[in-house]
Amino acid sequence: MVKHQALVIGAGPAGLCGAIAMAENGVDVLVVDEGLEPGGQLPKQTHKFFGHEGFFASLRGFEIGKILIERARKNGVKLLLKTTVAGIYEDAIVLYNRELEKTQELKVDYILIATGASEKFISFKKNYLPGIYGAGAVQTLMNQYRTLPGKNFIIIGAGNIGLILGYQLLQAGANVKAIIEASSKVGGYAVHANKIKRMGVPIILNHTIVEAIGEEKVNGAIIAKVDASFKPIPGTEREFVVDTICLAVGLQPNVELAAQIGARIEYVPKLGGYVPYRDENMKTSLENVYIAGDLASIEEATTAMIEGYIAGYNIAQKITGKDFSEQITKMKRELVEFRKGPFSQKVREGLKHFNISFSEGGYRTKIQNNEEPVGKLRVKIECPQNIPCNPCETSCPTGAITVGENINGIPHVDYDKCIGCGICVTKCPGLAIFLIQEFEKSSIVGIPYEFELPDENEKVILLDKNGNEIGYGKVEKIVKNNRFHTHIVFLNIPKGFENDVRHFKKIVKNYEEIICRCESITRKEIEDAIEEGFTDFEELRRYLRISMGPCGGRVCRLQTLSIISEKTGIPISELDSGRYRPPSIPLSFKAILNGEDDKNE
Amino acid sequence: MKRRVLDHPILGHKTDHREEIEFFFEGEKLKAYPDDTIASALIANGIDIFGFSSSGKPRGLFCAIGKCSSCLVEVNGIPNIRACITPVKNGIKVKRQKGKGKPTW
Repeated sequence: MVKHQALVIGAGPAGLCGAIAMAENGVDVLVVDEGLEPGGQLPKQTHKFFGHEGFFASLRGFEIGKILIERARKNGVKLLLKTTVAGIYEDAIVLYNRELEKTQELKVDYILIATGASEKFISFKKNYLPGIYGAGAVQTLMNQYRTLPGKNFIIIGAGNIGLILGYQLLQAGANVKAIIEASSKVGGYAVHANKIKRMGVPIILNHTIVEAIGEEKVNGAIIAKVDASFKPIPGTEREFVVDTICLAVGLQPNVELAAQIGARIEYVPKLGGYVPYRDENMKTSLENVYIAGDLASIEEATTAMIEGYIAGYNIAQKITGKDFSEQITKMKRELVEFRKGPFSQKVREGLKHFNISFSEGGYRTKIQNNEEPVGKLRVKIECPQNIPCNPCETSCPTGAITVGENINGIPHVDYDKCIGCGICVTKCPGLAIFLIQEFEKSSIVGIPYEFELPDENEKVILLDKNGNEIGYGKVEKIVKNNRFHTHIVFLNIPKGFENDVRHFKKIVKNYEEIICRCESITRKEIEDAIEEGFTDFEELRRYLRISMGPCGGRVCRLQTLSIISEKTGIPISELDSGRYRPPSIPLSFKAILNGEDDKNE
Repeated sequence: MKRRVLDHPILGHKTDHREEIEFFFEGEKLKAYPDDTIASALIANGIDIFGFSSSGKPRGLFCAIGKCSSCLVEVNGIPNIRACITPVKNGIKVKRQKGKGKPTW
C-alpha cells in the first residue's frame, strides 16, 4: 500500500493546476493519468487559446501543456502515466498500471477528480463504420501522431471544437467539404467560424447527418435539412463524397469515478449532463473529494485551470493548516471576470442549480464604427462578439486597443495611437485583426496567415469573408513570425476592397483535360459534379450532358466511370455503368422517314 | 506510411522520430515510428478496419483516448488491447479482434 497526502486523477489543465497549487505549498501529491503523455487535451491543440496572458492566452494549447507539466515537475508533483484508477473503495484506491500489467493499492487523505469529458456519439444509419471519428480523435492522430486518417472530411457540429478541427485539418493539408450544424446558428465563436469561412469551407446550418455511405469503411455521407424539432425532412437529402466523418456534437463529463466514490451526482444539462454536486470551492458532497474542469461543467481550458487552482488551494489549506484564502479569493475573482459574458450563460444558469451565482454583464457591447483615418496604416479588428479575451489590448505597445472594464468587452481602437505595428495581428487567438492602408491607386491588406507561405510578388486569387474569389492581387511583403507561427502576408489589392479581402489562394492552372469530346466536358467539371453529390453515371449524364453527344458515350463512359471510382472509392465493377439507348449512331430523320417497315407490307 | 503529415505550418517538420520500427498486422509486415500508438501506426498504413463486432460489423478507431473501446485489437495473442493508448513496439503481432476475444490466463 502506497500513501500520499493527495491524489489528482487526470493530468489535464484542471488536474495539473490543482496539483501545482498543492505542491507549491508542500503537499505530497500524486497525479495519475491514463494517457501516454500528460496534458489532457492540450498536446493535440495547435491553435492559440483565448483569455488573458496570465493564463497563457495567445499561446497554443500544446505549448500551454508543456509549461504546466514543467511547472508541476519543478514543484515536485509525482506523475504516474499509463495508469487508470480502476476503483475507489472505502479502504483503498486501486490503480491499474497497464504497462506493468499490475494493480496497486493507494491510500490518500484528499482526492481531486479532474477526469474531464468524453465526446458524445450520435445515432444515424451506419454510424459504426470505420472512418467515423470523434473530433478529438482526429486531432490526436493529426497533431500528436502526425497521421491523417483521410483526405476528404465532413464535420458534424459547428461549436468551437468542430470549427477548430476544420481549421486544423486545413493546416494539415486535408480537404474539409463542409461543417454541418443542426441548429440555426453557429454555436462556436464567430472568429473561429470566420477563419474557415474565408477559406471557402461552407457551414451548412439546419442540417444533420442521416447516413454514412460505405460497406467496410466510409466513402460518403448523406445529410438532410432538419425541421424545428431537429427531425430530418424527407426529400432534402444531399450526398457528400468524403472518406472521413468527424463528430463534434458535444462533450459529456466523465463522472464514473466521482459517482463510484459516493459523491452526489445530479443531472444538469446546462453543465453538460450528469455532473457531481460541488460548492464554490469545488468541493463535492464528500468532505475530502474535490473536482475541477470539464467534469464539473463543460467549459474552457482557462476556467478549468482556475477551478483546478481553487480546488488545489482548498485542499492545501486543509492539509497544511495554512491560510490560502488570499489565493483562493483571487482565483474566484478571475472566474467571475471570465464568466460574465454571453458564452458563459449556460454555465451560469447551470450553476444556479447548485445555488452558486455568477453575475453577468458589465462589459462593452458596442461595436466600433467611428471614422477611420483613410490612408494611414492601421488595424481593423473584426471581433464582433463578447468573448473573454484580451491579448490585443495587453500586447499593444501604444495602448491603442482597449477591451474595456471587463475581459468580455468588444475591442476598440484609438486610431490616433495605432501605429500599424501588427503585434496584435500576430497575437490575436481568433486571427481576427487585419492591417489596411489605402494608396492612390491600390490598397494594402495585411492578413494573419498560418499556412505554407507564398512567394513575395506572387500573383494570387483574392478571397472575401466567405471564401468567394473576388479578383487578383499580389503578395507585397511577408512579415514572418517564426516563434509564434502567425505570419502577416501583405497583399496589394484593388482600391475599395480593403474591407472585403480576408484571405487568398494560389493560382492553380485550370486543367483542360477533356473527357467528353462531343460535349466538351472537362475532367474538372466531372470531378466538381461528383463533389456536389452526383456520384452515379446516369446522374452525371443528366447533369452535365456527358455521353449524350453523337458518339453515344463510346469515348467518355469508361473514363467517367473511372473518375467516379477514383473519387468514391467504389470499384468500377460495382458501379452502375448507365443505360445504352438506341440509336447506336446518329442517323437522320430522313432515313427513318424513308424507312421500310411494316406499313409497306 | 502514406497518410503522414510530416510538414506542418505550426508543428514544423517532424524530425523527432528515430529509425522506423516494424510490426505485424494480420501477418503483414508494416512500418511505424517509435512514438506511434498501435492505432496511429495502423491508420498511417492505410488500415481503417481494426476488428469486427460480434455481429460481423467492421469496427475502427473512434475516440483515440482510451474511452470508447472501439479500437480493441489482439496483440501477441492477448485480446482487448486498446490500440489507441498502447505504444507500438518492434515485432509485435497485431490482429483484428472478432467479437469479444478469448480471455487468456
